[in-house]
Amino acid sequence: MTANPRESAEGTDQASATTKFDRRGWLIAGAVATGAIVGANWLRNAWPNEKAGVFLARNQRYDGTLVRTIRDGLIAVGLLPEVIRGKRVLLKPNLVEPTRSSPQMTTHPAMILATAEVFRGWGATVAVGEGPGHVRDTEMALVESGVAEALDSLKLPFSDLNYQEVAFRPNAGQACKLTGFYFPQSVLEADLIVSLPKMKTHHWMGVTLSLKNMYGVIPGIKYGWPKNVLHHHGIPQTVFDINASLPPTIAVVDGIVCMEGDGPIMGSAKPMGLVGIGLNPTAVDATLARIMGMEPRKIPYLALAANQLGPLDDRHIDQRGETWQGLESPFKLLDKDFLLDMRRPGILVS
Amino acid sequence: MDWKDELLRRLVREPLGGYGEEVSPATEPTALAAMALLAAGELPAAERALDFLSGIQQKDGSIGIRAADPTPAWPTSLALLAWRSHPEHEAKYGSQIASAIEWTLEAKGLPIPKQQAQALAHDTTLVGWSWAAQTHSWIEPTILHILSLKACGLGDHPRVREGVQLLIDRQLPGGGCNYGNTYVLGQALRPHLQPSGMLLLALADEEDSSGRKEKSIQYVAQALSDSTTTASLNWSLLGLAAVGNTPDEAGLWLAHSYLRLHRTDSHYRLALLANASLGAESPLVKLVAAGVMG
Repeated sequence: MTANPRESAEGTDQASATTKFDRRGWLIAGAVATGAIVGANWLRNAWPNEKAGVFLARNQRYDGTLVRTIRDGLIAVGLLPEVIRGKRVLLKPNLVEPTRSSPQMTTHPAMILATAEVFRGWGATVAVGEGPGHVRDTEMALVESGVAEALDSLKLPFSDLNYQEVAFRPNAGQACKLTGFYFPQSVLEADLIVSLPKMKTHHWMGVTLSLKNMYGVIPGIKYGWPKNVLHHHGIPQTVFDINASLPPTIAVVDGIVCMEGDGPIMGSAKPMGLVGIGLNPTAVDATLARIMGMEPRKIPYLALAANQLGPLDDRHIDQRGETWQGLESPFKLLDKDFLLDMRRPGILVS
Repeated sequence: MDWKDELLRRLVREPLGGYGEEVSPATEPTALAAMALLAAGELPAAERALDFLSGIQQKDGSIGIRAADPTPAWPTSLALLAWRSHPEHEAKYGSQIASAIEWTLEAKGLPIPKQQAQALAHDTTLVGWSWAAQTHSWIEPTILHILSLKACGLGDHPRVREGVQLLIDRQLPGGGCNYGNTYVLGQALRPHLQPSGMLLLALADEEDSSGRKEKSIQYVAQALSDSTTTASLNWSLLGLAAVGNTPDEAGLWLAHSYLRLHRTDSHYRLALLANASLGAESPLVKLVAAGVMG
């Protein structure tokens, strides 16, 4: 609503909207952002001093041994179980617009339950939180995705991130003009956030994985349905800035039955049988993008995140478990030049 | 005690509330509770809610989502509906209503020039209302503001007329709507019950020569069931009541919905259910229809 001068886009400070960042300022902002992610001394995230570990498991099933896979994967990338004891862990699945007819759109309940079981087993207090991007009826999103029933089975509390009370936090990334973000209480109180996305194509950004999934921590009650304030400030820029401004965040990706084609909503199922895990979401996303046949540097928000939030370069990522080279299976994209240009060179999809 | 009486007693005991377990009352749930209480003749409790809304109104007439959050101001629409539902609205809340109308008529969603929106099929130049400042017009805020202006007798205002045109345009080819996109990059999107039900409230007295309004009514009527979740069920039943198409099972579905909500802390869902249980007598239906007729 533009006519009223008092009301401005949420988090936009008109006075600072024109602030320019030089290269040095940008690097400082990047360092702050990096600190937000790797600075928690209890979370042993090796990057940027060492390679970022990314664990890949193949032949995974929703009715398989996911608890063991996720536990092994987290340990393999350097998470020390003893430091998790007593911590508040918020699991953030992707439930953007659930419908029973398209289960490939949303994080499978089995992934949420298995991850919760791992962290509970290590002594954490675990909650699940999401702010669906396209639907105001969050209860419907939980029921249609099968997550409501799953949460009941483990008595897992759910935080509706669209409606919780909020607090303002400065924009640590400063790629967009928003001076900060309103984050819900559960997000701000978490010691650790686990981004639990579905591995999908995205009709604007090429792919949506653990970084883009964090749009769902932004409260709809402040930013709308869709969270249009973010779109108006640039999707790549706001994805980067949100991730730069959050509490420590790691990634556990549901790549078992994925979405290709017209993702993130209308695409078709693509079975891959994968689980991807890492303490650095940027490195995880870069690795999974390669498996999808995409060039990470050409994914707009990954290009921004490169060497600021984490590494894209394969030489700076330590592969644990399977290596991505043996798992590559290009995802179909919409026939749009801007999307096809994000492909890795030489990729052909029938 | 009948479940409706029990529900009403809960709202009388505490007319102010939020969406879940949060501490601070929020505008939308409180305004919905006020409307249900007024319809039931529970004036003192309703006035507690209405006075709370008055207390958080900004100088420019807008009302934010909570006392601590004056923006965004899309809930101004619900506060306006609630004040207007009071039998002595002019004497008690006349100034609040006047300034809220003024703010509403000034507030505009951002149009997008057609050449910049070729990936979208809807008419991006039509102006309705947005959720937050400086963003595009979307379905639900446009519906809520249209309802509030119609309830105040402004159904013929050019802003309302353009808003109605926007709603008609944003319906999906097979009926119903979602948050407000129809096609993206050539792909038709799916309808959702809650916005589709709300849409019927706003279009109840409108002509739609495209025939999609009839399809929207059919979509909502066919998609509803006993297992439909609370907010979607209640907004849909209110919409169907507005178009005179309440399903025979409505009473049963609402009773089951209350049973599922029995121990909930969601004031929003309770207040919404209280309105839906009133059917065509809810101010969301009755007041809007009366306002349109002048």
